[in-house]
Amino acid sequence: MTTQVPPKQRRNFLFTMLAGFGALLAAAAGWPLFRFLSPIAATGGSQVAIPRSEVVSGKAHFFDYHGKPAVVLQPAAGKFVALSAVCTHLGCVVAWKEQASEFECPCHGGRFSPEGQVLGGPPPKPLESIAVVLDGDQLKIG
Amino acid sequence: MQPVKWLVEFVDVRLGLKDLYDRELRGYLLPRNVNVWYTLGAVLMALFTLQIITGILLLMFYVPDSEKAFASIQYIMNDVPFGWLFRMLHAIGANVIMIALLMHMLSVLFMASYKGRREFTWLTGFIILNLTMGLCLTGYLLPWSQLSFWATTVATDAAGAIPVVGDYLVEFLRGAPTVGNQTLGRFFALHVVGMPLVLLGLMGAHLFCVKRRGISSPPFGPDYRASEELPFFEHEKHPNGIPFFPNYFVKDAAVICFFMAFMLAIIFYAPGMFFPESAFQKADPFVTPQHIKPEWYFLWAYQALKIFPSEIIGLGVQVVFMTFLALLPFIDRGAERRPAKRPLFVTCYVLGILLFVAISIWGHYS
Repeated sequence: MTTQVPPKQRRNFLFTMLAGFGALLAAAAGWPLFRFLSPIAATGGSQVAIPRSEVVSGKAHFFDYHGKPAVVLQPAAGKFVALSAVCTHLGCVVAWKEQASEFECPCHGGRFSPEGQVLGGPPPKPLESIAVVLDGDQLKIG
Repeated sequence: MQPVKWLVEFVDVRLGLKDLYDRELRGYLLPRNVNVWYTLGAVLMALFTLQIITGILLLMFYVPDSEKAFASIQYIMNDVPFGWLFRMLHAIGANVIMIALLMHMLSVLFMASYKGRREFTWLTGFIILNLTMGLCLTGYLLPWSQLSFWATTVATDAAGAIPVVGDYLVEFLRGAPTVGNQTLGRFFALHVVGMPLVLLGLMGAHLFCVKRRGISSPPFGPDYRASEELPFFEHEKHPNGIPFFPNYFVKDAAVICFFMAFMLAIIFYAPGMFFPESAFQKADPFVTPQHIKPEWYFLWAYQALKIFPSEIIGLGVQVVFMTFLALLPFIDRGAERRPAKRPLFVTCYVLGILLFVAISIWGHYS
């Protein structure tokens, strides 16, 4: 005994199966593509070491901190501060103004103290602070 | 369903897509006895599309500099998520394309589909085959491995056999007296821009020829018709044929899936099939590895250069053979297409394939 399935019902079943299989295939191809195009996580976690001699009192030393610009300075003898050099307003890199002893953002005039606090301009929050310790003649940052 | 219907109508009244679908897909009729060998064109289009996609992805990380190229490939293979998959799809896909191209050409030869005023279709296809070999050759250098470096050195050196201009030609191909950064720069530009642009144009011309002249019928069974050479243009129609969509499209899709599965099977179960040890060592211009061999589809040409007493004779034989193949539709003018009625052709065809395989194996073990 055979059961007749109406053509429309049969077509809908086949269409659903095909769509499901297509979606599975798209996901199988899409996931590797998404992972390939996703930013690769920084190998970070590790500290960045900078010789103490490169951080002169009153001057700023810019360096790469896990793929982002950062700055370390010595506002007073033996006191070291490390900050993200990325302005919290729109992401420009701040410049150190030695005469005024402050950071200034060249894009929109945001101003920051040597400790990263906002002194003026549009930045909504201070520069991100990074831990720094003196280990012999090396500064360990991060 | 209502919004979908509305969207379809919205687009259709502006672009007439239903009419295009009825005319070019449902109304495009193929011979009733069309066989699986006719799907190879669609397979090749799918494989070339995959090459373009994976090529663009690899370009995001590849650095075309002799100091950094090898490291960038190592980075793609070991550090970029799924980088190994896209690189293997690209590298092994090139080999699968060569297999599909050869099968396509051999099936066209066997069924004499080049007959019946289809010289342009054959010629554009033959140039696509040669251009693809050029793409393989230029792409082969880019990983800057020992294999890449020395295979390119040997391949470009073959041009030196040409009298008078040979030495200059070798230097011109390399951009320098030896393979180096200059060679990498020009091979890279040709591989990622120049050749793909020409290839796309040629594929368009090839498809235009197929569509404009009309697809040929397989020369088998009661529906067989000898090829006609009318003194005026005629589009070959198949009024009682099967629609391209959905009937033949399903067969195309099935064979494409088969080729993709074949390629993935190599990637997952035999990833080293096309990668000898020297493919994993950085190029060293001062150390030639032992037993350096070209890719399998160049082995016949490599061995042909060695078996003749002088390289110029070997090169000349290759040029004569390739020219004969390119001009075959202009030489073979008979109307008969059935293989059983063409014993001389079929004998040459089988012997030719055996010779190709034998010389390639000889080249591999020599």
